[in-house]
Amino acid sequence: MSPLLEVENLSVGFAGQLAVDSVSFELSAGECLALVGESGSGKSVTARSLLGLSGGKVSAEKFSVLGQDATAMSERAWQQMRGNSVAMILQDALMALDPLRPVGREIADALKEHSSLSKPERTAKVREALEAVDLPEPAWRMKQRSSQLSGGMRQRVLIAQAMIGDPQVVIADEATTALDSRLTALVLEQLRALKNAGRAVLMISHDLAQVAQLADRIAVMRAGKIVEAGDTDQVLNRPQHEYTRTLLRAIPSGVPRFQPLSLAPPKAAVVAQEPAKPARMPALVVEDLSKSFGKHAAVQGAGFVVQQGQTLGLVGESGSGKTTTARLVLGLERPDTGSVRLFGEHFAPQREAQRRYLRENIGAIYQNPLGSFDPRYNVGQLLTDALSAGRSKRGASYRTQVSRLLEQVELDPALGSRNPRELSGGQRQRLAIARALAPRPKVLVLDEPVSALDVSIQATVLDLLDRLQQETGTSYLFISHDLSVIEHMSDTVAVMYRGSIVEQGATADVFGDPQHEYTRSLLTAMPRLR
Amino acid sequence: MLAWLGRKVGGALVVLWLVATAIFIGVRLIPGDPAEAIMGGPGSQASAEALAAARSEYGLDLPLITQYLMFLAKLIRLDFGTSYALKDPVLQVIAEVLPPTITLALISLAAAWLLSLIFAMLAMRATRAGQCVGNAVEIIAAAVPHFWLGAVLIMLFSSMLGWFPAVDNGTGAGLVLPVLTLALPLAGFLTQLMRDSLSTALGSQFALAARTRGESRLTVFWRHGLRHAALPALGLTGWAFSSLLSGAVVVEAIFARPGLGRSLLSAVLSRDIPMVTGIALFSALVYIVVMALTEAIERLIDPAGAES
Amino acid sequence: MSRTAKILGTVFILFWLLTALAPGLIAPGDPLAVDPAQAFHAPSLAHPMGTDESGRDVFTRVIHGAGDSLYIGLAATALGMGIALVLGTAAALAPRWLDGAILRVLEALYAVPSLLLALLIIAFTGPGVGPAIVAVGLSTAPGYARLVRSQIRSVKNSEMLEAATVLGRGTWLKVQNHLVPNALRPLLALVTLGIGQAVIWAAALSFLGLGTPPPAPEWGAMLSAGRTYLHLAWWLSFFPGLAIVVVAAGATLIGRSLGGKVNAA
Repeated sequence: MSPLLEVENLSVGFAGQLAVDSVSFELSAGECLALVGESGSGKSVTARSLLGLSGGKVSAEKFSVLGQDATAMSERAWQQMRGNSVAMILQDALMALDPLRPVGREIADALKEHSSLSKPERTAKVREALEAVDLPEPAWRMKQRSSQLSGGMRQRVLIAQAMIGDPQVVIADEATTALDSRLTALVLEQLRALKNAGRAVLMISHDLAQVAQLADRIAVMRAGKIVEAGDTDQVLNRPQHEYTRTLLRAIPSGVPRFQPLSLAPPKAAVVAQEPAKPARMPALVVEDLSKSFGKHAAVQGAGFVVQQGQTLGLVGESGSGKTTTARLVLGLERPDTGSVRLFGEHFAPQREAQRRYLRENIGAIYQNPLGSFDPRYNVGQLLTDALSAGRSKRGASYRTQVSRLLEQVELDPALGSRNPRELSGGQRQRLAIARALAPRPKVLVLDEPVSALDVSIQATVLDLLDRLQQETGTSYLFISHDLSVIEHMSDTVAVMYRGSIVEQGATADVFGDPQHEYTRSLLTAMPRLR
Repeated sequence: MLAWLGRKVGGALVVLWLVATAIFIGVRLIPGDPAEAIMGGPGSQASAEALAAARSEYGLDLPLITQYLMFLAKLIRLDFGTSYALKDPVLQVIAEVLPPTITLALISLAAAWLLSLIFAMLAMRATRAGQCVGNAVEIIAAAVPHFWLGAVLIMLFSSMLGWFPAVDNGTGAGLVLPVLTLALPLAGFLTQLMRDSLSTALGSQFALAARTRGESRLTVFWRHGLRHAALPALGLTGWAFSSLLSGAVVVEAIFARPGLGRSLLSAVLSRDIPMVTGIALFSALVYIVVMALTEAIERLIDPAGAES
Repeated sequence: MSRTAKILGTVFILFWLLTALAPGLIAPGDPLAVDPAQAFHAPSLAHPMGTDESGRDVFTRVIHGAGDSLYIGLAATALGMGIALVLGTAAALAPRWLDGAILRVLEALYAVPSLLLALLIIAFTGPGVGPAIVAVGLSTAPGYARLVRSQIRSVKNSEMLEAATVLGRGTWLKVQNHLVPNALRPLLALVTLGIGQAVIWAAALSFLGLGTPPPAPEWGAMLSAGRTYLHLAWWLSFFPGLAIVVVAAGATLIGRSLGGKVNAA
């Protein structure tokens, strides 16, 4: 049987720049190929060019889709192919569905384009498609807008939307990115069902661990080129290219604490701190914390202890109350009940003026640090402001300290005159860490600090956090939805579900022998390589 | 739905009450005899009998709080008093001049919408140079004062070309120039807004998703782009209508049309306070009604967004 | 903002400042000099914008009118923005009930269309330059106040201020270092946009005979006077109006390049 997709030396250029550079692969029915790469690798452009939607200048030695020569296809022919024989699942279900239209009509649009079915017939088919992806109450849900559905329902709708035309090729463009592990498992399960039903599946992802579960073959992309391609087993276990090895090394799950995920810092080995003795006073004690917003109980009776020099990983799905917990710990929200103590001192609930002297002991790092920087400040000013406790933003006397901070987080001190907006995501996060370190805090609250970063960048930032903890003995409250990151970074783990902590304990215990039903379901859904 | 309606009516009453109170305070702040102020200010030379009549009608010899309550009680009964200048009940005058102004404003609003939709669509297809020209035209259109645009249009289309009359002769043709005068500047504002939201919508993930379903560029524009372009512009309808009423004062003066604006202008010139009060309250009421209507339409287009 | 845009904007502002402060440098003639023999001359080299019904040079009058028109526009914007800053800041920082009360009052004022509100104020004060400033200033205040409020609130609730709290900054430092500069910067754009609109509104009042009285060379008043001769001498209305359009469009451009939104006021 001839392949459904045949691509030989495909290049896509934008204004003279090649986003995709001589890429070759093929894909047959019942097969799953994964294109893996980080942002800017050209994987999404490749995917879109398979639908004639790259928007750039496409050239190829051979480029055939379902046996048709795609280099010579008219727009009309493309339209007949899209959503009919080749379908696409886009990344973010909230963004990929028009917020102003009922989801049922979004799905039916493909039928409108490709069939002559009457309206009731279309409605019936949409219902069937929604039932096929196990959407509860499809007849009612299809009349709702995407923003009225939960994340899981939206994801199912998005898959139904791609499946309605009964396509032979399905392209999933980062369809699992930014989903928590149970939703990821749901999408993967749906894609597996497609593959088993004889469809060709092209997965676009940045996550090797995820595609490993489904892909027959993997092609690793970097800067527009495929640097390595082969059977899944070979790419994962006997990687040939250095970049593939970097990506594999960067996967945190199963890597013991403090073992580097990247090769980047050849810094002199720091004398590792003695493991914290439990006799010492805990850095952070949280007891019976609750907070409701209106009728919605965001956090209910959460309690945990962060030991000095250790990391507590707080893990849970989006909406589980992790961020509210972080805000309560930081004293940004007033708890309804419970208390937060910092080195034995009462921190929350407390009047701001009375706890301000404690603030230098606790710092925070967010998922998207840019919003927490004053947009008028450049890097140097930002750090000077932090070092001088807000009294100066230019003081020359702080210059050496600023440089030292930047070096501490492995940033080039020459970046001092840049605006944070000009920095890359990884650099921004390093800057946020540098700023948080300025007052030499003893506790850092890290709310999804690496969730917006590419895997290899994530690895270097995690390594940096590890190193800093060893050097300074700072305690971390590390919040993430990503189980593998939590597993790698934490000494103890607390699992949060619907506002409550359902299980906590030493990392090895929780991950090795989960007691709570919810933890178990999370762990089964978690993709693992090691 | 009923709760929403109740909230709207309640809010409207509060706003009207505040406007009325502001007017009451304003009248009392005028230096000199309030009776004289009501009868057209110090220069009006109202007769002693007229002043006495006004005093007793408005209860000016009573304590201030009683006066205020009387004033409100009258308003509740829709009794705005008698126009000092026209000698007719204010309500009756307003009933006569409100319809032409509302008609003018509504037609202009529709014309502005139509023009900006066309411009926004053209801008989507335009080249870089074309977009620069479009940008300049929008900014200039938005910066053109009504009174000048009206004059220029009369000059061009009435005096020089003779296509449309400058003064309404009863046929629809008389409406063309006033409507254009009001609609062009508004269209300048709306086009900018629509263009922004249109390009955001057409560059969004859901537009791409629609394309992957096999929809053509044009279909995506109709099914998705237009809705998203219309929503923010719709949200501005209250403001737009309010600016049209402002513009109507000028336009009615230039084109010698009867209407709310013209009556207000002559009432202001003769300092006819009861008339001014009535018109201010009615225009506030019109604004409130328009706001409620647009909100209702927004809820139809975007039920999820309206709830948050 | 690009370099050329900056230069053009600066040149534009300097030109009008010069025109307003020293009109004699550009148009040395007397804007009030009547010469009936020269009445109704079409634009020519001697009179680039023609002459009016009394033989006064329209170009000289337009240049000399800049002072009055811009003065009213600036003063009205300053007044409106001043009131708006007080009300908007109070609403943004006040407890919920006071915020709600201020919002209601603003909503009530906003419900009356700007020009109608201005006319309402003039009905109480009588016509004149001072009343025109007060009327335009007060009638634009509610719109500004709502924007000031939302601006301050968005900065107040921003992650930036939370980060400052976490870093242990006191209230005063937060206000001084972050809240004021970040909230005010977009308002600068708003003020620039507002000046253009205020010049239009002020001219509209003069046009309606409620602002600057003739024969002063105020643009709105000139337009109003020229309207009578619209069929006879188009230049009487055209050029003063053009001046308004240039100022308003220029202010809009500068305001937009500073990051403002057009529909703001």
